[in-house]
Amino acid sequence: MISLPGLNLGAQPAEPLNVPALSATRTQDLAANTEYRFEVSFSRTLTLKLLSGTAEFLGTELAPASSYTFQGTKGAVFTWHGCKLEISGEADSEYVAEETQMMGYANAHFALESLREKSAQNCELGPRVLIVGPENAGKTTLARTLTAYAVKTGRQPMVVNLDPRQGMLSVPGSFTAAAFSSIVDVEEGWGSSPISGPSPIPVKMPLVYHYGLKDPEEGKVFKPLVTRMALAVTSRLEEDKASKQAGFIIDSPGGISQGKAGVYENIEHIISEFSVNVLFVLGSERLYSDLSRKYANRPTDEAVHVVRLEKSGGCVDRTEEYMKALRHAQIRAYFFGHGENTLAPHSQAANYDDLTIFKISDSTDNSAFGPDDDNVYAPTTSLYERITPSSSIVNSLLAITSASANDRQDTIRDSSVRGYMYVADIDEGKKRVKLLSPQPGQVPTNALVMGTFPEDVAALVS
Amino acid sequence: MSIPSAEVAADFRDALQDLKQNSRPEINNLTIIAKENTEHAQAISHELESHIKATRPEFKLPALYVLDSIVKNVGTPYTVYLGRNLYRTFMDAYLVMNESTRKAMEGLLRTWKQPVPESMDPRPVFSPEVTGDIENALNKIRSVQVQSTPAHRPVHALPPRPAAIAAWRNTPTPPQNGARQSASQDPRIRAPYPPVQQFGLYPPSMPAPNPYGQPQSQNEPVSSVDLEDLKTEVAKSISDSQQAFAYNPADANLKQRLDALIALKTMLNTKALTPASLRDIQTQIRNLAPLPGPAPMPTFNPPTSIPPPNMHSQLHSAPPVFPPASAPPINIAQLLANMRPPMPPVTNPAAAPSTPNLADLLRRVSSPAQSSSTPAVASFYPPPFPVPPPISTPVQAPAVPAPAPAGTPTANLAQLLAQFSKPAAAPPAPVTQPVPPFPVSLPQLLSQPPVAGPVPGSAEWLLNALKVLPTNGTPSNTTPMASEPMTRQSSAPTSVLNEVELTTASMKKPRLHLISRLYEAYSNQCASCGRRFENTPQGKEKKARHMDWHFKVKDPQNLKRAIHRSWYISEKEWVEYRETDETSPDEPTNGSSGTATAVKKQAKDRYVPVPQDAAIAQAPCAICQERFETQWLVEANDFVWMDAIQVGGKIYHATCWEEYSKGAGIPMPSTPERGVLGKRKAEVSTPTSGKKPRAY
Ligand SMILES: Nc1ncnc2c1ncn2[C@@H]1O[C@H](COP(=O)(O)OP(=O)(O)OP(=O)(O)O)[C@@H](O)[C@H]1O
Ligand SMILES: [Mg+2]
Ligand SMILES: [Zn+2]
Ligand SMILES: [Zn+2]
Repeated sequence: MISLPGLNLGAQPAEPLNVPALSATRTQDLAANTEYRFEVSFSRTLTLKLLSGTAEFLGTELAPASSYTFQGTKGAVFTWHGCKLEISGEADSEYVAEETQMMGYANAHFALESLREKSAQNCELGPRVLIVGPENAGKTTLARTLTAYAVKTGRQPMVVNLDPRQGMLSVPGSFTAAAFSSIVDVEEGWGSSPISGPSPIPVKMPLVYHYGLKDPEEGKVFKPLVTRMALAVTSRLEEDKASKQAGFIIDSPGGISQGKAGVYENIEHIISEFSVNVLFVLGSERLYSDLSRKYANRPTDEAVHVVRLEKSGGCVDRTEEYMKALRHAQIRAYFFGHGENTLAPHSQAANYDDLTIFKISDSTDNSAFGPDDDNVYAPTTSLYERITPSSSIVNSLLAITSASANDRQDTIRDSSVRGYMYVADIDEGKKRVKLLSPQPGQVPTNALVMGTFPEDVAALVS
Repeated sequence: MSIPSAEVAADFRDALQDLKQNSRPEINNLTIIAKENTEHAQAISHELESHIKATRPEFKLPALYVLDSIVKNVGTPYTVYLGRNLYRTFMDAYLVMNESTRKAMEGLLRTWKQPVPESMDPRPVFSPEVTGDIENALNKIRSVQVQSTPAHRPVHALPPRPAAIAAWRNTPTPPQNGARQSASQDPRIRAPYPPVQQFGLYPPSMPAPNPYGQPQSQNEPVSSVDLEDLKTEVAKSISDSQQAFAYNPADANLKQRLDALIALKTMLNTKALTPASLRDIQTQIRNLAPLPGPAPMPTFNPPTSIPPPNMHSQLHSAPPVFPPASAPPINIAQLLANMRPPMPPVTNPAAAPSTPNLADLLRRVSSPAQSSSTPAVASFYPPPFPVPPPISTPVQAPAVPAPAPAGTPTANLAQLLAQFSKPAAAPPAPVTQPVPPFPVSLPQLLSQPPVAGPVPGSAEWLLNALKVLPTNGTPSNTTPMASEPMTRQSSAPTSVLNEVELTTASMKKPRLHLISRLYEAYSNQCASCGRRFENTPQGKEKKARHMDWHFKVKDPQNLKRAIHRSWYISEKEWVEYRETDETSPDEPTNGSSGTATAVKKQAKDRYVPVPQDAAIAQAPCAICQERFETQWLVEANDFVWMDAIQVGGKIYHATCWEEYSKGAGIPMPSTPERGVLGKRKAEVSTPTSGKKPRAY
């Protein structure tokens, strides 16, 4: 570990590890087509090992005799053929479910495969899938399962995450797109973006944008970013044969499925920008009926297959407290790595003048413009306000955009992100900022964007 | 409740701590403790692993013999527990051992790749994934050694062994769980899935005759030509030849030999060869002329003289049960029964009077359409007795000379390999290969080792074909087998999936028969991460690269420096980025960027000569503050720091600098030196991507 002057960094989770010293190891037989559902909090760990048979976790097959350790996870190990699991550690809840939705998910995969086979023959774009549904309906679970099955079948699907509440290969608050050509991690969400050393599971290469708000309906950033990402993804797929045939899968936030009086503006926007042709609706009958009516009479070349899938009985509502812990774990993993694969972030110091920070202006609070700031952008557009560091930004994340400090606001908004820094401390007297950066090097002069989401992470640097 | 694990483990530990030499009675005693306490296997395995790790180097080998004795005499669950960390256990010990002890460990490893001698269980002691990782690591270490000590290689002495003792065998043969061997079951039927079935784990080991009585290298069954061993030998020949070539760069013959060997390596990775041809190849490799220059003579085992029982015989090496297309319906159950390997294996390939020669074999695997106009050359039987390697046979073009009692086998090898490496001879995938036009009997075809994908018409292929057929849902063991599945070979999968309509109603239909597309269709699974590969030559190749990747990731070298999150790539880079996952071959995936990226070198393959100035030579990398690794680099003929780059008078880790410069938008300076590691990797076709953002 590198010594970091001035900061006492630790990768320790906020909550103390409270694992029972010697938790009983037990075995669990699962009959074919059943699943073992479990919830394990962030203060405990649960270790699973496949002793015999086959088993998969959200579609990714478990390796025989390897231990998988879960922390802060809710999920299920499903078996098509029957299996014996060895379980150690303490789950907050666990049970075996005989009734699952896996056949439906597998059918969805096979239907997509049928489309992919056709696209491969005709060198066309493969299925463009959007998954919608209310919160905790299992959208992300379905996206992961479909991705894992496609990868298993030798495809290279592109996955797009438009849900700011839970990051994919990056921190919460970001939107990402990445092609998956190697197995999806079992223990660490969607896996890891590249690191400077080897990773036990191949890393994925995401394209990252910063959204910085909690809900897709607020602000003026969601739609433009969707448009921008659709452009990037489409350009990539035009030339990238492997991903083109596999198509893409978009995971969406539950919020856009609420709609206003049966109108789902953001869903429609995503469908048109990404030319979505397969729409999976999880759970909600109402949403399904509204959307299938909406897309019923389209010309064949623009047809959208609206398909409803049952919500799994295993889906659990996640408390705000859990979601917050999940977000913090994702942010921590960005800087410090996950599990045994620890990363060494660097601490840096910068003068106030070295940093150009733009804060997304909260549309509900337009009066918050900094009076002490000669902000040239604020009058013309209300996207961002340039702020001077102050103790109020301690513990927040700064997105390092690829735009320069002088770029127009919409350029900054649309520019992809190179990484994130964390404001560890502010010395208002010396006008110095202590930053946590994923790597050593100069403090970037790029435009830095600070959102209102995710919330501050107090325990990241102690 | 019996005795707690901790107590048993403590007893075991005490006994282990007394083990200071290779003492059979003590090893037996420890084995018995392990055998009588299988319910504490985890604790005992853990004790054993920790002991091997912690004890002084000279006591490690006896402890490894304990491990060996336990896995061979007791088997499961020890094979499972010990197999999990075997890579660490073995490699950590290996790295601190002297040369002779290493040899002894290599001997152990060889036996772990085999079934327990005299056991009826055809599976190896440890799964190939476990031993393969170690094997890979040893190969790399050997090649590094060759590079760093070009002029000297110690003659390996055999480790001291206790005098021969009576075979120790008191474990009854455990009941074999035949389910694992039986063919996969029809996924349409829910009930027949027992909780434990064909995807079982490691073999329960069979009792072993005492492997400690005699030197290991003579003890191992020399008759068996293990594909992996052969690959290792070829890899070693390649690295030796490379070594020699480095000293004799003008030697065209050497170059030719190198090319031939590399072609051979590719062939071994991609083609299905019969045991007989494997043996032929092995013989020829071993009879290759000595290398010129300071390169050391490779020391090889004596050529094999006894043909092996087919170690691979499993599901795939089915006896010829395949009926002609017009045959009457056959009974699947019967088919499955017939597919079990003969036990004990009685096949003796060399006894077959007409074992095809290598020329035929190579032609057969490389271009089925080609007529057999090339006159058949002398057969490639090994010489009847081991021929001592000649002292200084001059190398002549174009043949690679070798003692050739029967014909000129090595010359033929060179020719054949040269022929093989012509791009025109690019073979079609064996799966779609028609029955070759030259006289080859169906039994011969079917008795190919499982390195082949399912041969069209073979029992396995038939099963696969049947599996993907639509079903009326009734489990049937009398499915009529007409020619239909064969003729629909390529169109069948599509039509099956067409049936899966994209509608809400269609999603609710049970289609368990399709699940085999996620499992059995990719029957070749990586044991360390669970990723599956097709059981085809291409799938094998992918898996080989994948295993190589696992090895690299586990490389302890990697853990030495601080690792951090990389910057995300820019939008433009991302749009142009093509995935290079761990199974991708070396070539750039899109032609346009090919030339540009091919020149661009991997940062970690950059090096600078170790600075003369002592002060600079002591200085760490200015970015991560860690020291550089000094190693001898043959190509530079100097001690160098690998993964290093000199920028403005300062030396940094090249990877550190790359990360830094990427973030800061500074272009990577180009330096003239060529990375020898990159070159070597390319030749052994490990996945080195030419691209900068690498999916590690
Ligand atoms: N079959 C199952 N068994 C156990 N847990 C499950 C199962 N399916 C989903 N879950 C869990 O339920 C929770 C909600 O599922 P998921 O995250 O997929 O829903 P979502 O629709 O994406 O939610 P959000 O709207 O918040 O993004 C997750 O923690 C998930 O792991
Ligand atoms: Mg979700
Ligand atoms: Zn693997
Ligand atoms: Zn460094």
